[in-house]
Amino acid sequence: MAETETSHDSPFAHVVLATGEAVVFAPGDRVRVDDRKPVGHYRVPTYLRGKTGTVECVYLPAQLNNEEEGFGRNGGAKRHYYRIGVPMTEIWPAYAGSPQDSLRIEVFEGWLERIGA
Amino acid sequence: MSDVIVTRLPNDVGGLSAAPIDQSDHVLAPWEKRCHALADVLDFHKLINTEEKRRGVEALGSEIVGKLSYYERWAVAFANILFQKGVLTPEDLAKRMREVERRLAAERGDSPGAGI
Amino acid sequence: MTEARTNRGHDHDHGDPHAPIVADGQPSYYEIMETAIRELLVERGHFTAAEIHRQIDLLDSRTPALGAAIVARAWTDPAFKVRLLADGRATVEDLGISFYDDTGLVVLENTPEVHHLIVCTLCSCYPRPVLGLPPEWYKLKPYRARAVAEPRSVLAEFGTVLPDEVEIQVHDSTSMARYLVLPRRPDGSDHLSEAELAALVTRDAMIGVRLVELPQGSRS
Repeated sequence: MAETETSHDSPFAHVVLATGEAVVFAPGDRVRVDDRKPVGHYRVPTYLRGKTGTVECVYLPAQLNNEEEGFGRNGGAKRHYYRIGVPMTEIWPAYAGSPQDSLRIEVFEGWLERIGA
Repeated sequence: MSDVIVTRLPNDVGGLSAAPIDQSDHVLAPWEKRCHALADVLDFHKLINTEEKRRGVEALGSEIVGKLSYYERWAVAFANILFQKGVLTPEDLAKRMREVERRLAAERGDSPGAGI
Repeated sequence: MTEARTNRGHDHDHGDPHAPIVADGQPSYYEIMETAIRELLVERGHFTAAEIHRQIDLLDSRTPALGAAIVARAWTDPAFKVRLLADGRATVEDLGISFYDDTGLVVLENTPEVHHLIVCTLCSCYPRPVLGLPPEWYKLKPYRARAVAEPRSVLAEFGTVLPDEVEIQVHDSTSMARYLVLPRRPDGSDHLSEAELAALVTRDAMIGVRLVELPQGSRS
């Protein structure tokens, strides 16, 4: 998804996208992973819940939410997912390695909340 | 805190304490490779997609997940999901398993197995 | 559940020979189940036996040698490396290696500053199109539980010790992206051909648990 024309002069500026079509987060955005506790199936490991990280990239194209795919949904609405970077010391307060060690993980946008300004 | 029984799925092991890594290799048995191929074909046809297979394994619960081998878990998950979807019935599968067992025993020249 | 997981429940979580598949020539209950499911679905027309055979042939054709050849190409062809790092899947497909599902491929280059390590804590996601099926330890609890929390001690168990200044970047696969590590080319390997380089690249190096090293005494 390339840059879109946002100038008010653009003849395309008033186009409305469906829910979920627009990419929500950009590289560098600070995000928090929701700390909800779903039952049945999930693809965000427990250790990541509530942790704070930085968006590194968006994966394109959008994909089926794999937590719904787990119950047999094979088509329909797609959502974007992102690779986020999280310092190991954020995830594991007693982390014994180097403080610059980090994790990269893919998370669908429904799990992410923007933080900071 | 009984809620953790349902909110932490059996395969969600990141960060748990665990033993040293046993690096020995395991060559797949022919049936295990067939089981892997079956999983792929089930996904190609979206009869059971890959994510459903994962969910089906989690749904076996931690005791079964802990005691069965990797492809044994897959086989049982396939059965349960196919029953849920009405593609097969427990009766279909039980009868066919008995036939398969007898057929394989006959091919080996054994007396009919009493097991299944 | 917590007890079952932290104790023998998951330590037992494996597919190793403890459960002999055909200990005495007799198929196990689960092998019979797999056969019965497959036969019933073929008979009812959901797919053909030929599709299963084809997929077994496909699986047999995917081995770490493919990944090693990709790595050696990247070490010797700078333009290829640029494309590989920019779009792993399309670049690998151009070589004739198909992806038989919707997974992507992200190639992660190890540098003097960053070392990448691949894991799937929730299941066993792995770049099967280019490496084949994963090793047993990759699928079992000890590696999956520990690689995300104590990567340096996991690496040490594989004989890989990196200085603190090198950032360990652990990649936990949870969605459609699959990861392949592009290891560092060993020093002193300038004289080696692409094929000779490929022969040095191990599966473990492309997961990130080991480095690529020259055989003892072969440095130029």
